[in-house]
Amino acid sequence: MTEMLQASDEAAALEALHDAGMTDGLPVVIPTGERVSRMVLASGQDADMSLGVMGPAGGVATVEKVAVAAVMAGCLPDYLPVVLAAVKAVIADEFDLAQMQSTTHCTAPLIIVNGPGRLTCGPVASGFGALGPGHRANASIGRALRLCMINIGGAKPGESDMALLGHPGKFTYCLAEDEEHSPFAPMHQDLGYAPDDTVVTVIGAEAPHSVIYSGDADDPKDADKLLEVLAIGLANMGTNNAVLTGGGAVVVLNPEHAKILADAGLDRGGILQRLWELTHHPKERLAYFAAGFAERIKGDTYRCFSSPKDILLLMAGGSGLYSMVMPSWCAGAHQNRYVSEMVELDLYCEIPGLDAAQP
Amino acid sequence: MRDGINTARLGIPSVALVTEDFWPQGNFTAESLGMPEVPRVKLPHPLAGTGQSHLKEVAKRLAPQIIEQLKND
Repeated sequence: MTEMLQASDEAAALEALHDAGMTDGLPVVIPTGERVSRMVLASGQDADMSLGVMGPAGGVATVEKVAVAAVMAGCLPDYLPVVLAAVKAVIADEFDLAQMQSTTHCTAPLIIVNGPGRLTCGPVASGFGALGPGHRANASIGRALRLCMINIGGAKPGESDMALLGHPGKFTYCLAEDEEHSPFAPMHQDLGYAPDDTVVTVIGAEAPHSVIYSGDADDPKDADKLLEVLAIGLANMGTNNAVLTGGGAVVVLNPEHAKILADAGLDRGGILQRLWELTHHPKERLAYFAAGFAERIKGDTYRCFSSPKDILLLMAGGSGLYSMVMPSWCAGAHQNRYVSEMVELDLYCEIPGLDAAQP
Repeated sequence: MRDGINTARLGIPSVALVTEDFWPQGNFTAESLGMPEVPRVKLPHPLAGTGQSHLKEVAKRLAPQIIEQLKND
């Protein structure tokens, strides 16, 4: 059972949580025993069931502790399945959570939600400003994972979380794919899941970098030029992807850019193949900026990504000139792999007391 | 929308051209600038980058609406 802290009222409890370093710096919903119990009850799972260990502190992520974070973050019970799946994803060995939490790099877990749960566990926004303020599910799901990383994983700035500056996505970093309007198969389907599965895919990622491209339907090289600028954003010589290599990254196409590529006959596989090819760089370029990192390269060129499949591609956001790319850290034992996790939607139950007829 | 309002305030007959994805934002801007009834015509979205032939087709289709709005100004 989680230890209960005592306070005279909610205002005092909030100050106590801030003082204990248990918040992200913003006000939280006080995780009273009743609120947490109701959140756990909604999960349909035992409070003490362990999801695994979160580094670097090695805290055990039980359903109850995750529920505490979800309450603090402002989640509705409907969001909890997504939060639990995201926690399971970052706990997976290949995510290298302990190292990722400890690095000096600016990396935060980007949660991408696919499948029907986008609508029932939220909805999780995928359109205009999906990564910005104003979307409760996006804001609180990502925040709940961060509070788990702080309070279970033990990440404290300058002490165990050594990010030199961090980035705003460390408060929350969650969106859904706009599957309804995308010309491509849903991302989780191309990752091997069924269309009706609900899946979270989590990757440690930098903040979104904007890539501007103004399409020109009269230009026969329209799609090629778009792919070229996306590749520049993904692996320019200031990114870890170009210097450390071998990691993952994310491309979030806006609807206009997705259409340009789809109209050129490209599917997700074709786009990723071209991005992979366009991020093969001359060794001498790396040697100019980072001679020590170039020494390991055999031959005249090198690959920023080991495989096209190391790049995640989805469509989200409003329609316009800007897509987003998120380069990554590329380090840790597994070099910053993304991890997908099914969202369990069958275990959840109605919460007594939430019925409007009951006080 | 802001340009349309500014020119209208100078006494110049004006019609704001707004693409459908930005139509709600146009309404918000018109309201917030105190000219909610400023004439406007809805364009398809996206428009930029869709090619000369498409732009000409849209212009040909919507020009009568624009002229009509200017006449009513």
